[in-house]
Amino acid sequence: MMHPIRSEKAQKAVGTFEKAIATREAVLALAACVHCGLCADSCHYYLATGNPKMTPVFKADRVRRLYKYHADWLGRLVPEWVGGGTLSSDQDLEDLKDVVFGSCTMCRRCTINCRFGIDNALIIRTARRLLTAHGIAPEGLLSVMRDQREVGNQMGISKADYLETIEWLEKEAQADLGLDFRVPIDKEGAEIVYVINPREVQYTPMTLLAAFKIFHLAGADWTMPSVGWDNSNFGLFSGDNDLGAHMARLAFDQARKLGVKKVVVSDCGHGYRTMKWESPNWTKARALPFEIESLLETMVDYVHQGRILLDPSKNPHSVTYHDPCNLSRSAGITEEPRFLLTRACLEFREMYPNRVDNYCCTGGGGGMAMAEYASRRLAVAQIKADQIRASGAAVVATACPDCVDGLTDLINRYKVHIPVKNVVEIVAKACVTPAEKTKRGMRPIPAELKGRRILVVDDEPDVVRYLSIFLADQGFLVSSARDGRGALAAVRQERPDLITLNITMPENSGVEVFMTLRRDPQTQGIPVFIISSAVDFRKLMYYREVRPPEGYMGKPIEPNVLLMTIRRLLEIKH
Amino acid sequence: MQAFANQGPLEWSRLGPVTTLLVYKVFYGALAFMVLAYLIKIRQLLKQPPVVESTPPRGDEVRGIRYAYLTLAIPWELESQRQDWSSYVEFACLHIVIAFNLGMAFTLPIAHEALRKPWVVSALQWTFTAGAGIGIIRLANRLTRREMRAISSPDDYFCLATLTLWMFAGISAISQDSEVGLLVFYLLATLIMIYMPFSKISHFAYWPFIRYYMGKHFGHRGVYPRKVLPKAGRSPNGERQ
Repeated sequence: MMHPIRSEKAQKAVGTFEKAIATREAVLALAACVHCGLCADSCHYYLATGNPKMTPVFKADRVRRLYKYHADWLGRLVPEWVGGGTLSSDQDLEDLKDVVFGSCTMCRRCTINCRFGIDNALIIRTARRLLTAHGIAPEGLLSVMRDQREVGNQMGISKADYLETIEWLEKEAQADLGLDFRVPIDKEGAEIVYVINPREVQYTPMTLLAAFKIFHLAGADWTMPSVGWDNSNFGLFSGDNDLGAHMARLAFDQARKLGVKKVVVSDCGHGYRTMKWESPNWTKARALPFEIESLLETMVDYVHQGRILLDPSKNPHSVTYHDPCNLSRSAGITEEPRFLLTRACLEFREMYPNRVDNYCCTGGGGGMAMAEYASRRLAVAQIKADQIRASGAAVVATACPDCVDGLTDLINRYKVHIPVKNVVEIVAKACVTPAEKTKRGMRPIPAELKGRRILVVDDEPDVVRYLSIFLADQGFLVSSARDGRGALAAVRQERPDLITLNITMPENSGVEVFMTLRRDPQTQGIPVFIISSAVDFRKLMYYREVRPPEGYMGKPIEPNVLLMTIRRLLEIKH
Repeated sequence: MQAFANQGPLEWSRLGPVTTLLVYKVFYGALAFMVLAYLIKIRQLLKQPPVVESTPPRGDEVRGIRYAYLTLAIPWELESQRQDWSSYVEFACLHIVIAFNLGMAFTLPIAHEALRKPWVVSALQWTFTAGAGIGIIRLANRLTRREMRAISSPDDYFCLATLTLWMFAGISAISQDSEVGLLVFYLLATLIMIYMPFSKISHFAYWPFIRYYMGKHFGHRGVYPRKVLPKAGRSPNGERQ
């Protein structure tokens, strides 16, 4: 058989493919499919669109054709007969990229529902591996991979910024838990080291405060590491096992150095899966001197041991639980969150299907970092929106930042109007605290922050009015702009200390305003707090052509979170 | 009652030389070829190293493996089968009928007298008719449903069509009333034996391995066996659970 003339990239990719299928499981997944089509109804991409090119088997076949062409007995002679094909041009690589990054979240719902157990996620990851090895991947994913490799965490947060934020959060927590509360950093010999998702530091510190509260109330002997603190690992989503091993070593080496007994992973689906199940294999670590467990498991133990007491009346609304794919289908964590939620809430409602049959949040597989596929992601999210709506619950709980973001996006898109919370937040809220009788609540705005200038940029008059009054009441000097042009003029004239920005505005859009501000040396240092439900924010967050926004919040606005974020941005000098 | 009328009993001692060669030599030669090909295939597979699991287990690998094998017999465990029982019935019947057809190919030359009993003939003819019918339904599905057409290769059509024809040939062969019928049956059987290792029909050889590794993987992580069966109800798209 004549082999086609290949582009340089295609030639390299084919070479990588042959190495990438060097495990028995990979060969079986590629060789054994009979094209029965049973997996079609397991995939939300297909269920939502009815597009025959969205069935798991069709997508896996875009990769399987390479196996048929290069390794199958008959395929090597007559590839077309068995559906074989190869990569010849750069366009072939782009087409493959679109399939494996843009139309599969590697959720493994089809794997669980296949009579054979063909692991399509493994196939898709294999293809991602051969593409990312040659720089062919969504820009956001490549940015995150670069930051994990070079800085050691997915958001590219420097050690100084991380430690400063933790210190600031410590003060925040003291307002709630008492002045004796401390976040121990690098405490040698502690029982637990707590590793987190960097988005918690940058965008959702409420989940960190919740975890701090639980450790404090349980009397845990815990610490946070100054390095190797990122539990997320884009080695999983990119297929890059070397990156996976690099991130794992950062965490494992620090845990070894501190001599801890346990590494506790914050609410993060893929973070837990990689830390617990994939990383030890990637690093070829035979026996780790510590256990790895999810914060969910830790909290269950604390409840069993009576170290935290839960009062369900503090969460009076009905709550349903979304099983993150990486926790349920790839890590066996399904009952722990239910144990906690049934004790922390007055009413727990299942959504159907659930556990290993649950539908993906649509933001998995690194999907949140791939802004170019956001519209497709949301177009296929109808089924998830319907599933949540059918539960009739007032709150959706989950245990993964990607799920929180994915669900929040689809809830906004399909107008489900249900807030999404992390399980740890719900449990922390339900905790009975000894300090409750003398609870001081949120820390007040310090005197030195009063009089700081905040520019509110939003095209919705109601939002501008609300924010202006609310922030003025806190002692800030507030000005406002209704469009991009007005915003840029106001920034140049008033030099605000902070800008709240809606990124979806007419004329000069918020994204353009943000980019202009960041590219101007005079304004690039001003912290920008995005207040918007638009998914365009993810592009700013992950593509990193310029420094990402310092804060983010969807609508409707939660005053406590708003105030806390504004305080953080003004108090911490990044 | 026999489903199909016999033209008269076939005398095995008076088969023509081509048929004799095919039934007693070529067919078994093809079988030996198939076995050899699969041995090579499995050896090639086993040359690839399995994923080495270095993490302490959260669940029970043995239970996981057992569960992975058993899901074939407990169809309600898979949502895909809970929602569409007919596909499971179709799948089960087709594979059982193929096993009967194959079994008949081996037993006919040595036990043709026992297989002449009218009730045996009738039962097998109905069985093969059902199998062939399912084959036609599956072919029709593959040709008419967009999502099936999109994933079907010539090999998929060829395998299904050949197996369907083979089951039709089985209807004639079991009646043992025509040498031509027997010849066609064994020609198809030989063709299938030789072609099988190169085709998607090879899935049967991979099945024990893939379920083993799947069960081991999910059992190790505590995913298998399922902890709680989903409650009966409707999925968001209105389908039965």
